Amino acid sequence: MMRRSLLVLGIAAAISTQAQADITIAMAGPVTGPVAQYGDMQFTGAEMAIERINAAGGVNGEMLKGVKYDDACDPKQAVAVANQIVNDGVQYVVGHLCSSATQPASDIYAEEGVMMITAASTSPTITEQGYELVFRTIGLDSLQGPVAGRYIANTIQPKHMAIIHDKQQYGEGIATGVRETVKEAGIDVVLFEGITAGDKDFSALISKLKKENVDFVYYGGYHPELGLLLRQSRELGFDAPFMGPEGVGNPDISKIAGQASEGLYVTLPPAFENDPKNADLVEAFKAKQQDPSGPFVMPAYTAVELIADGIKGADSTDPEDVAEYLKANSFDTPIGKVEYDEKGDLKDFSFVVYNWHADGTKSEAAQ
Amino acid sequence: MAQILKKAGTSPAEAIPPQPSYRRPWWSATAAAVLTLVLGGSVLGVQLESTGITTTVRLMGMETWGWLLAAALAVFLHQLIRPQVEDWRARTRKPSRFTLPKIFSGQKRQLWIMLAIGALLIFPFMSNRSAVDLATLTLIYIMLGLGLNVVVGLAGLLDLGYVGFYAVGAYTYALLNSYLGFSFWEALPLAGLMTALFGYLLGFPVLRLRGDYLAIVTLGFGEIIRILLNNWTELTGGPNGIARIPKPTFFDLEFTRKAQEGNVPFHEYFGIAYDPSYKIIYLYLLALILVLITLFVIYRLLRMPIGRAWEALREDDIACRSLGMNPTGIKLSAFTIGASFAGFAGAFFAARQGFISPESFTFIESAIILAIVVLGGMGSQLGVILAAIAMTLLPELAREFNEYRMLLFGLMMVLMMVWRPQGLVPLKRPHMELDRG
Amino acid sequence: MEEILYFLQQVINGLTIGSTYALIAIGYTMVYGIIGMINFAHGEIYMIGTYVTFIVISALGMLGIANPFFLMGAALLVAVLVSCAYGFAVERVAYRPVRGSKRLIALISAIGMSIFLQNYMRLAQGSRDMAISSLIPGGWEFGIESFAVNLSYMQVIIFGVTLGCMLLLSTFISRSRLGRACRACSQDAGMARLLGINTDMIISMTFVIGAALAAVAGLLLGMYYGVVNPYIGFLAGLKAFTAAVLGGIGSIPGAMLGGLLLGVAEALTGGYLSTEYKDVVAFGLLILILLFRPSGILGKPEVEKI
Repeated sequence: MMRRSLLVLGIAAAISTQAQADITIAMAGPVTGPVAQYGDMQFTGAEMAIERINAAGGVNGEMLKGVKYDDACDPKQAVAVANQIVNDGVQYVVGHLCSSATQPASDIYAEEGVMMITAASTSPTITEQGYELVFRTIGLDSLQGPVAGRYIANTIQPKHMAIIHDKQQYGEGIATGVRETVKEAGIDVVLFEGITAGDKDFSALISKLKKENVDFVYYGGYHPELGLLLRQSRELGFDAPFMGPEGVGNPDISKIAGQASEGLYVTLPPAFENDPKNADLVEAFKAKQQDPSGPFVMPAYTAVELIADGIKGADSTDPEDVAEYLKANSFDTPIGKVEYDEKGDLKDFSFVVYNWHADGTKSEAAQ
Repeated sequence: MAQILKKAGTSPAEAIPPQPSYRRPWWSATAAAVLTLVLGGSVLGVQLESTGITTTVRLMGMETWGWLLAAALAVFLHQLIRPQVEDWRARTRKPSRFTLPKIFSGQKRQLWIMLAIGALLIFPFMSNRSAVDLATLTLIYIMLGLGLNVVVGLAGLLDLGYVGFYAVGAYTYALLNSYLGFSFWEALPLAGLMTALFGYLLGFPVLRLRGDYLAIVTLGFGEIIRILLNNWTELTGGPNGIARIPKPTFFDLEFTRKAQEGNVPFHEYFGIAYDPSYKIIYLYLLALILVLITLFVIYRLLRMPIGRAWEALREDDIACRSLGMNPTGIKLSAFTIGASFAGFAGAFFAARQGFISPESFTFIESAIILAIVVLGGMGSQLGVILAAIAMTLLPELAREFNEYRMLLFGLMMVLMMVWRPQGLVPLKRPHMELDRG
Repeated sequence: MEEILYFLQQVINGLTIGSTYALIAIGYTMVYGIIGMINFAHGEIYMIGTYVTFIVISALGMLGIANPFFLMGAALLVAVLVSCAYGFAVERVAYRPVRGSKRLIALISAIGMSIFLQNYMRLAQGSRDMAISSLIPGGWEFGIESFAVNLSYMQVIIFGVTLGCMLLLSTFISRSRLGRACRACSQDAGMARLLGINTDMIISMTFVIGAALAAVAGLLLGMYYGVVNPYIGFLAGLKAFTAAVLGGIGSIPGAMLGGLLLGVAEALTGGYLSTEYKDVVAFGLLILILLFRPSGILGKPEVEKI
């Protein structure tokens, strides 16, 4: 009985303070741990958005407040963080970063009526759960795969193609997408195989590629393994071109593979920081000596902006109203025009095929 | 030539303890200082950096080198005065041993235990959601620590692949649920059985081997389990893991806002308002009960012949055999029982997470559990509990600590073994000692 | 014909990977042979050796020195020196104080040291992959039109150096005075000490030699793969240990044989089955060998004396 009345008091207090206080946005992602550098990109973008929205007078007269939560990209800590966020009475979350952390956290948010926009998790399963309050501002793995697959089928038209992945959620997801697309186009995939992330020696696999007369290789995964794969391929006399997703589009790949990275095909989101529309925003980042070119900076910025727009548009701070508004309207954001489908995925998120160069630069590939 | 290095008999390393020699303090102090500079300077004093696509080396600033020099100086002075210090300590040494405060022993023991359990039962109702959730996680680690303690602490078998059993438990529940619709309660005993079976099958061949081999084979086993879970995409979802694992029910009552068809949720059944924290509290209470059961079972086992046999075997393998005990059978029992606790913990972990993927079951997890057992004093239940609490709460209290966590775990394992191999809270059991005065 | 060439290529690949395992395994096996203890931190010393190699090569590269042999020589010198210092220090800190105690205690201390070194390097150098370009590119190519077998210079160098290290070490152990002292320690350390052998010194020396071999491996593999991060020591150490056990731990030619076998088994799995199951085959092989011949291929069954 005692507890019940305390609870009621607590809720009453929470509601009454919330009416005057700021709107808190939780920024959940890795502050520590091995991928903290990607977390920083997300925080940079989100913080910039909060700052700029507040400078322009806030949302319906209320100020936004960003609070960082550290999940270290660990599924177990992500659940703890999600519970913490719910506990703190926060209703809007920008995050999490790694798909394996986003997934268990989204279960909790969905149940407790918290709205979550992830700016980095690309796994399709996250939005497949049918949650009303889960959104993202980044393209899915399943979108990127077909883009690459169509480019391969239409422009490259290999005769014997191989698809390799690193057996992780991201890499295998995209590789599967590519396989389905090229199969529909009637291209012969002679090899679909996984490697171990962190492995260093791929000579056995490369010899196999050589023997199967593979003339094009798609790799789903990140740059360290593809870098080595490229480097060893050229040493072992295997010269077929390679293609990879955005996870390999990082100057480090040229560092590892050297000359072998010349001519690599990479699918990347368009470089938002080069869009003239965003010149003003890019200046703001530069003024704070921050780098706007990280892949998650602009999506995180957009996530905060969408929350603000949603609250304004729905004229309510209830996440369900905001979600409804977001799904019903389209928005003009730094990552282009945003429209949502029923699942909370972007209807259109374009990827562009680039040619990578050995000096770490890229240029748009010929169609 | 093949047998040039073949060793014979017992390990020579065990046979001779090292002897200290401080004949030339100045020389050894200088050598130690130079060594410190080489060790630190070579990796801390310079740093590889990437600028664009080239790798460059950066010489760290005066600050870093200042610290390195200071460290070298400290080592120098320490080495110089060490003979005197040790001499002084040897003369003034008192037979002082840290013993537990009286609270934990004696007549009042049962009362204290009751009070502690009572406090733990009330705790979730007085606390907030995230604290309760964290407490649940801690309880899972306590369960894991207790289970591994049976294997490492009591039976003296170094198992580096304990996380493999944890994974088997978690996936047993997740798979049974997603394919056959088993509930948590139906799957929990099966998860325990399944891991016990795995423990038995793995233990059967490898327990005949010596300790070091066992360590490596279990390490390999843990990796194989993870690789298999990752590769067997058709069954386990591979790296995508398994999502939407339901939480345990309360006599078939669910804790969701709206129950599945044909079911009444917990709050409607009892006619109270929906509160999401019920679910968290229920999970916590279940974990608490599981831990208490684990504690009780191990407590009883220890006082049974089998528990005595584990410890006897740990102390002296050969003596046991000459007394007619069957070492393989005894080891196997410890291995199997220890594994089954990991199975329960795993099923519980799956329920708490609602989503599992092979990523949660890496070697680091094994190392953390081992660190809990080592810190707690191998063999001591109370020590394991305290260590598990420290290990899960510290990173939450100090986020910066997270960055240095594994470094400190490693350092702590070495230092504990060097200074206090019996752990912070060593196991004490009723025993008699001959008075040698 | 194509099939035969393909098989040959996979065997060459396997022998190269195998040599790298063998090079690290020799260090394991030597320490084990003398003090009967697994030096878990050996893989981390290899990792540190690789880092030092990268630092030296990059630093000299910044000074404009490009002669590959000079770079290699300088890197070898510094890497061996630093690794020896680490090997020596690791023995002093983590192994010597627990030498008289039970096996389990020494094992945990060793694992703790390995975890510590890995994270120490992660904090000191960052967890990002660092890369250098290949110093000695190119190789031979032979075969028919449909399939050519490639053999790079680096592969030959690695194989040759491993073989050389094995022969040198075997000779050292069997012929030199110090080697004889090592053998004496390995058979009966207490007796060796009574006979005037400084056992502490011999054990220290064992660790230092092991570390020097790890540094050689770090240099060669660092140049071959061109990539380093703080985590490479763990898997390399695990594989090398498997190789050492396979060949019979304590036996130096056994380490070489075990390494080559493991490498070829992995390459053939990757070449004919699937790369995904490479590691499973490696560990499966380890478990099998332990089941049916726990003392390894070239090891003799152990007799436990009371």
